[in-house]
Amino acid sequence: MSAFASTIDAWKREKGPLRILSASGQLGYGIPEPAFRAGLARKPHLIGADMGSVDPGPYYLGAGKLATARRSSKRDLGLAIVGAVRNRIPFILGTAGTGGGDPHLAETMEIIREIARENDLNFRVATIGAEMPRDVVKAAVRAKKVTAIGPISTLTEAEVDGAARIVGQMGMEAFQRAIDLEPDIIIAGRACDTAIYATLPQRLGFPVGPALQMAKIIECASLCCEGGGRDAMLGTLEGESFVLESMNPNRRATPMSVAAHSLYEQADPLSVAEPEGILYLADAKYEAVDERRVRVSGGRWEPATQFSVKIEGATRIGARAVLVAGSTDPVFIAKAQEIAASVEAMIRELVPPNPKRPYELFFRFYGLGVVGGQPVTTVPEEVGVLVECIGETEEEARAVAATAKQYLLHAPFPGRISTAGNLGFPFTPPEMTAGDAYRFSVYHIMEVDDLAPLFPVSIETIGR
Amino acid sequence: MKLIDAARVIRSKNAGPTQVTLDLMFDTREMYERALAAPSLKAAVIAQRFNVAEAEIIPYPAANAIKIVLPRRIIAGTPGDTDVYGAQQHRPILDLEI
Repeated sequence: MSAFASTIDAWKREKGPLRILSASGQLGYGIPEPAFRAGLARKPHLIGADMGSVDPGPYYLGAGKLATARRSSKRDLGLAIVGAVRNRIPFILGTAGTGGGDPHLAETMEIIREIARENDLNFRVATIGAEMPRDVVKAAVRAKKVTAIGPISTLTEAEVDGAARIVGQMGMEAFQRAIDLEPDIIIAGRACDTAIYATLPQRLGFPVGPALQMAKIIECASLCCEGGGRDAMLGTLEGESFVLESMNPNRRATPMSVAAHSLYEQADPLSVAEPEGILYLADAKYEAVDERRVRVSGGRWEPATQFSVKIEGATRIGARAVLVAGSTDPVFIAKAQEIAASVEAMIRELVPPNPKRPYELFFRFYGLGVVGGQPVTTVPEEVGVLVECIGETEEEARAVAATAKQYLLHAPFPGRISTAGNLGFPFTPPEMTAGDAYRFSVYHIMEVDDLAPLFPVSIETIGR
Repeated sequence: MKLIDAARVIRSKNAGPTQVTLDLMFDTREMYERALAAPSLKAAVIAQRFNVAEAEIIPYPAANAIKIVLPRRIIAGTPGDTDVYGAQQHRPILDLEI
């Protein structure tokens, strides 16, 4: 019998609270092992982990690459999967491989097969795809069922066709279909982090509001504790309430720290939109159980009359090359922007842009008001210099960066005292290519009538 | 009193690639209410500080916190962006008088 089926059967015999262990909110960046082991010792009914996000930017989604190092991803996946399979605990991984698209899922599965081989494990894996069929998205665009989230352009059919990859965030519906396949573990493409943890409670008949509310908090592991943290977090769902406890004994969840966590990376701290409805948190209550555990209640679930999926897409816009340098020359620093303008004119003369698709060139002088986009009030004694080019090809971008290096180094300007060179380079070559460049082209809500065709499930047995 | 001296936490982060959200957290209810009532923390003033068209101010009394939501000037990671995660956008409000 599969880990999911046997856990569901066992719970139905015993009933009682449901223990869910969140192993990591960012699998692949290092699961702290002692807290994870302490969590395993509590005999959870489910282990979950989230592996992805749009936070790292459009590159990983577009290129189909993992943001986390392969060896770190393998270490964390090994810890979670060996721990789950050896103890017959169901495991769910959401947003596999950073982006949650097909190549991300494929690379994650390849790592999992290695782990199974090396640890002599045998288990059934359900996978859930999350790449959106282009014809479905284009039909939704035509039917005006796609809405922008924040300041991004209205989606067009041409933009859909031009995207390197488009994924959708699956909800509990997709995970329910995966559980139907009787797996030991579920590896999902792009997914709502909440659905990882709320699907099993929903299956067992727990109220969805508190289950999702708990999911929303534990999906970041111990981040809801005072001072944050990555350690595994245990959520014990009682029904209308749940108790939170970090598996690191030094981390304390307090009513204030847990309440504050609802603010994190959310535009709206009082509601969470899921494909199948909305979770409302306005009536949330937080009470201390003891000095490091908190009981929470009040999450209210309202099923939607219309399903909707958040869709995310990235489009390739060219290839990137950068130049890294610094300057301590006061005259250069005072005139940096004008010097950059003259150097840019020289570059555009020496490396003529394709008129149909001119390269983009950015000069950034760190210390003079780059990061916050606001001018600085004092002139620093030293500035960092970053020149970035996005060209049609890597060769073009590199040619621009190399030319920028030479002319920025030797640019003449009135009052120049340091006539042998304007820049210090930290290494050679100071100009380097940085692979393909992408932009987010899709960040929208798409209304759909049927979720199942968007998130196909399949099952395979791994190991002996 | 300046915001940087009044708040325990003043942080910024993306809320998705098209928006940035700032969280101001205060140690006491009194300080939270003082900040919430301050003319400098009205939406129009904040929007002007960040040079964006609009800002949303959301009181969150459960954590003695105030949330600010801003549209990003450049979508995260699009050429010209300088803060992909939006984690360093808090400076323009540090010296607001409350």
